[in-house]
Amino acid sequence: MKKSNLLAEYGALVALILLFVINVATRGGNFLQIENLRNLVSQNAAVGVIAVGMTLVIIAGGIDLSVGSLTAMCGAVSILVINKFAASGMNPNLAIMLASLGAIAIGALAGLFNGIVVAYGRVAAFVVTLGGLAGFRSIALVLGNGGEIRSQSPALQDFGFGGMAIPFAKDAGGGPVLFYWSAIVFVAIALIGGFLLNRTRFGRYIIAVGANPRASEYSAINIQTVRLAVYTLLGALVGLASVLVAARMNSVGTGSVGLYYELDAIAAVVIGGTSLRGGKGRIWGTVVGVLLLTLISNMITAYHIDTNWQGLVRGIVILVAVLIQRGKKEDE
Amino acid sequence: MNRFKTLFGITLGISLVMLVGCKAGTDGGATASGGAGPSAATPGKKFKIGVSIPAADHGWTAGVKYWADYASKQNPDIEWIIQDAKEPGDQITGLENMKTQGVDALVILATESAPLTPIAEKLHNAGILIVNVDRGFTLPVADVFVEGDNKAFGRKSAEYIVKKLGGKGKIAILEGVPCTVNTDRVNAAKAVFSANPGIQIVAEDSGKWNREKAESVMQNMLVANPQIDAIWASDDDMALGAESALKAAGRNKNVWILGGGGMKDIVKRVMDKDPLYPADITYPPSMIGFGIQTAAGILRAGKDNAKKYIPRHVMIDLDLILPENAKDYYFPDSVY
Repeated sequence: MKKSNLLAEYGALVALILLFVINVATRGGNFLQIENLRNLVSQNAAVGVIAVGMTLVIIAGGIDLSVGSLTAMCGAVSILVINKFAASGMNPNLAIMLASLGAIAIGALAGLFNGIVVAYGRVAAFVVTLGGLAGFRSIALVLGNGGEIRSQSPALQDFGFGGMAIPFAKDAGGGPVLFYWSAIVFVAIALIGGFLLNRTRFGRYIIAVGANPRASEYSAINIQTVRLAVYTLLGALVGLASVLVAARMNSVGTGSVGLYYELDAIAAVVIGGTSLRGGKGRIWGTVVGVLLLTLISNMITAYHIDTNWQGLVRGIVILVAVLIQRGKKEDE
Repeated sequence: MNRFKTLFGITLGISLVMLVGCKAGTDGGATASGGAGPSAATPGKKFKIGVSIPAADHGWTAGVKYWADYASKQNPDIEWIIQDAKEPGDQITGLENMKTQGVDALVILATESAPLTPIAEKLHNAGILIVNVDRGFTLPVADVFVEGDNKAFGRKSAEYIVKKLGGKGKIAILEGVPCTVNTDRVNAAKAVFSANPGIQIVAEDSGKWNREKAESVMQNMLVANPQIDAIWASDDDMALGAESALKAAGRNKNVWILGGGGMKDIVKRVMDKDPLYPADITYPPSMIGFGIQTAAGILRAGKDNAKKYIPRHVMIDLDLILPENAKDYYFPDSVY
């Protein structure tokens, strides 16, 4: 393999490692605190979960712009359900479980709807999900009366800040450092997504449908079903992510939750080396993309940089990723 | 090879941006200290305070940013991290990062109240001094809470409207971002309006304390309501947005607007007896500076000592600005 191909293949990972080394060199122990490293995995866990689903949709030749608004809608539903059950005196953890299932179901339904219109209505995915971007947000705003929906159950917040204690790690106050449930879910979903894409027949179908729909049809793959499946799966993951976000805030600000998640998720996918043209991509790259975006905001705080520069840095990182990818195409 | 050059160039570009950003930032250069955490006042240790505020999406928040920079510069013995956030998710991330940076205190103006409460509670429990300014949390997790008297804001402004309309007329209400500030203002104003049955609220919507948003909301209100006698805009940026909508629709006669905040442009027009702006009500963004000064003072005095005499809740009085007294509130050099 030529050197330049290696770079095209692992560019995002190289960039992540490079930035990591720079941080270790300049910030040392401050950067390497277990708590800080934990934050890098957990802070964008919800976007990460969505980005895994987005990777599959993009590989199958689609795109979904509605995920941010859907996060708000599913989150709103989950809190309403929790409040309803909590008021009836149900075990709060059971209520959270049921609300999560509810949010996942609503998300899957919305994803299915997107998928049906894309697959059978033959409308461009960009347009269909642009409709969702406007529509789902509006439903969320209606549910929340334009404002925040607050959870009446403290158990939700406990879940949001709960997790597994990292062995031997202590925070500045001497307490244990928890690996948040949200981060655990992110890691698990990434592993499952990677398995699905690379080790199952369904994964091979997704790649085939994205690479060449007509050839897939001739090889007896039901391309409409595959498309429906990836959108539905992404919708379900958005539902799951919405609960993670709602738990962290113990509420859902229906106007602000999930804002720009679609852009963050797509950015992570693109940075990770998945082609927007479909037919090619990888989950691990997306995970690297999410971590890269999180690391940038981490550095903004640590180096006392005006937050207004963050967008420019992100923009540059996205452009680099795409430029390198374009180079890869030319080589072939 | 070519791509290596591209990558090199772009890496250089990122480094440059970071470098420029560093300079442009509130505090030049980074300091690396190994795993420093919040600790009691040890002699010679430089305190570190994080200031987390909403992004300047309208004039008032721009004023907050200005005063945050200004007030922190008056305390050069302390290391400051000042960050703004577009939405609650951003703000939570920033606060978590400030904690790992080892801040001793945080001055927080929340983007929204409820979503920021759990993280504030967690940081408070971790031993970090929390000074909350303006938009409050939904639980008493702040060590000090500084706010303008928003109930008085609502009450005084509504009473003025009732008086000026002679107790009879149709009004439109523009609400702000959902948070304790907005709730207090709106509820207090509505309490006054509902006590005066001659006042009819014909339209009510959120303009998010933003000029463009308020303009489009106002346009819709004008289409739906042939008669509006006065607009309770509750913020000077929203007042300007409402004015644009009125002018575009040719409806800027026989109607007037009551904003809020004390933006210099509006105060000037009150002073000049502009019929569209008969009055305004103050809500100084410099209150962030009071929060910053309080946090710095408490750390210097020692947290446990200072908390014995620093009040937990400070409420800033607000004044109605009228043509007679407007010159006392007009600061042409201010950003807001």
